[in-house]
Amino acid sequence: MREISYKEAITEAMVQEMRRDPKVIIMGEDVGDFGGLTETTIGIIDEFGDQRVLETPISECGFVGAAVGAALAGYRPILELGLADVSFVAMDQIVNTAAKMNYFNDGEATVSLVIRVWSGFRRSGGPQQSQSNEAMFNHVPGLKVVMPSTPYDVKGLLTASIRDNNPIIFFEPKASYPREGEVPEDEYVIPIGEADVKREGTDVTIIALGAMVHLALEAAEKLARDGVSAEVVDPRTIRPLDVQTIVASVRKTGRAVITHEANVIGGVGGEIAAILADQAFTSLKAPIKRIGGEETPIPVSPSLESTVVPGEDDILDVVQALI
Amino acid sequence: MPKTTKKTETANNLTDRQLKEMYRRMVLIRRFEEVAFEKALAGNYANYHGAMGQEAIPVGACFDLTPEDGTMITHRGLGVPITRGVTVKDIFAGLYGRADSPTRGRIPVYHMGEPKLGVLTGTSMVGSVIPLASGKALANKLDKNNNVVISFFGDGAANRGDFHEGINLAGVWNLAIVFFCENNFYAKSMPLEKSTAGGSIIRRADGYGLPSMLVDGNDVLAVYDATKQAVARAREGGGPTFIECETYRWTPHSTAGDREFARTEEELASWKAKCPVRRLEALLLETGQASSEELNAFDEAAQREIEEAIDWVEKASDPGPEVALENVYV
Repeated sequence: MREISYKEAITEAMVQEMRRDPKVIIMGEDVGDFGGLTETTIGIIDEFGDQRVLETPISECGFVGAAVGAALAGYRPILELGLADVSFVAMDQIVNTAAKMNYFNDGEATVSLVIRVWSGFRRSGGPQQSQSNEAMFNHVPGLKVVMPSTPYDVKGLLTASIRDNNPIIFFEPKASYPREGEVPEDEYVIPIGEADVKREGTDVTIIALGAMVHLALEAAEKLARDGVSAEVVDPRTIRPLDVQTIVASVRKTGRAVITHEANVIGGVGGEIAAILADQAFTSLKAPIKRIGGEETPIPVSPSLESTVVPGEDDILDVVQALI
Repeated sequence: MPKTTKKTETANNLTDRQLKEMYRRMVLIRRFEEVAFEKALAGNYANYHGAMGQEAIPVGACFDLTPEDGTMITHRGLGVPITRGVTVKDIFAGLYGRADSPTRGRIPVYHMGEPKLGVLTGTSMVGSVIPLASGKALANKLDKNNNVVISFFGDGAANRGDFHEGINLAGVWNLAIVFFCENNFYAKSMPLEKSTAGGSIIRRADGYGLPSMLVDGNDVLAVYDATKQAVARAREGGGPTFIECETYRWTPHSTAGDREFARTEEELASWKAKCPVRRLEALLLETGQASSEELNAFDEAAQREIEEAIDWVEKASDPGPEVALENVYV
C-alpha cells in the first residue's frame, strides 16, 4: 500500500468528504490560498471555491459561534483553529454553545462540527503555542475528543468526525505531522470510541495518547530486548473512551503506565487511572503510573523545553522500575 | 460613512386589521409579562427576566417576518417567541419545567428553538448569540435563499467581544441580518454611561460599515417601519443593518436579582407614561381604527389564555428522571 504523511492524510480526508457531501465546509484563518497554519488546506479552495472554504478574520469567538449557527442550519463545518492553545480564546463558544446545542435542541437540529487543533510540543513554541489541553475538553459533556496518532488513524477518524452529528475537538499532535504510514486511497471510517492495540505484550500496558504513542512503541522495542513484553494501547478517542479495551489489556498484563504530552495533574491520565483502579484493581501487580509534562508553562529555549517534555527515557525508567 | 437615521415618525400604511393584530399581540405579551414575573416571585420557578414595557419591539420587529426568517433572543424578551407563534401555554410549561413542554424541562425556555416558527436556539451568555445568529445568516447565504435573521440583544451585550466579532463577520460576508439592540439603558444594575465608552451604541455600527437607525422603541409603528426597511434591504442582498431601539424595562433585572441601585422611581414613572401598549391603544381610538370594546376584548382574551395556561401548567407533570440523560449526544 502507498505511504503518505499524517498531514497528507488529513487533507485527503477533508477533500474526499467535501466531494461526498456538499454540506461539508471549511472555515478558519488563512485556510484559502495560504493553506492554513498547518498547511493542510493547501489547494482545497481551488477545487471547492470560497463558498466551501471560508476564510475568517482572526476572530475565534466569532467564527466558532458562526460555525455552530451554520451547523444548526444543516452545514457540517470543519474549523481549523490552528494551535490548540487558541481554543481557549473561543472557549465560551465551544463549551457553552457548541457542546450544549444538541441537548438544547433535543435531537431536532444537530451540531456537526469538527474543531481541528494542532497540539503539543514543537521546538520553541513556548508557553502559549505548545499546549495539549485535551483534558479540559474531556470534562465537557456534549463534546467528543479525538486524538489520532498515525496517518491511518487520522484519515479514518477525521472522516468519522466529519460524518458525526456532535461537536468534536480533533487533536492533531504536531509531532505526528511528518510521520508516514500506509493509508488506503479510498475513504474509510474508524469508529469514534475504539482504541487500538498498537503492539501486543504481556508484562505491562503502556496507554499512550497522541504523539506519545510513537515514543511508547520505540520504548517497547527497547524493552523487548531486555525481555520485557510491553503492550501499547492507543485510545485514539479520549471522549468517549474505549474503557473495555484498556481495562482488558491491564487485566492481562497487571501493570499500567499512562503517558501524554500534557502535564500530569488534572490530565486524562488521572481519569484513566481512576477507571483502572475501579475496574482492574484485583489484576494489578503494581501501582498505576502516569508520565506527562512538568507542572510548568512550556519554556521556549530548546534546552529548557526538553527538561519539561516527557520522553522515551521517562517511559523506559518508569516501566523498568515497575517490573 | 453609513447613515444613521433617527426614526420617531412613521408612515402608517398598515390596515386596521393589522394594527389591531399588533395590539392583540402586545397586550398578550404584557399580560404574560405580568403573570410570568408574579409567578416567579411566588416561587413557582427560580427566576424570570422580565421585559415589561418593551412589548412594542418584538411585535413591531417581527410583524412581517416569514417562518423561514430567523429570530435570536437573549435571556430577556420572550415577546419574540410569543409574537412568532409560540403559545403562552408552551412558555409557561417551559418556565415550570414540565414534561409536556417543548423543552421537556431540560433548558431555560428563553433558549428554546422552534424551527418551524423561525425561533432560533440561543444561549445564556450575554452577546454570545450574536455570532450564532451570523452563522444562521451565513447558512442562508450559502443556501442562496433570501431569508433574513434578526439578532436581538441588549445594551449590555454591546460591550462583549462577540458583539464586535459577530457584526464584523456579517459585515465582511455581507449577510442578510439585522442587529437589533434593545437599549433599556441598564445592563443588570450598570447604567449605560458607566459601561459604554463613547456613550453611544449605535455609533459602533459605523465602524463596521453598517447603516443604522435609532428608533423610539416604545412606538410599535416606528419599530415596524425601521425593521421593515432593514429586512427589505437584507433580502435584496444589501447586507446587515443595525437598529437601536430606546426603551425601558419596568421590572428589575430579574426576580432573583430584584435590587435596584441606579434606577429611580421618577425615571420609571417617566417611562411608564410612555407605555407602548397604551400608546397604540390611544392611536387606534383616536383615529377610530378600533373601538374600546374591540381592544378590551383582546385584553380579556389574553387574560383568559394565560389563566387557562396557568390552570393547566400548575397541574401538569414533571418530567421523569430519564429525560435529563437524553440527547447529550445525538
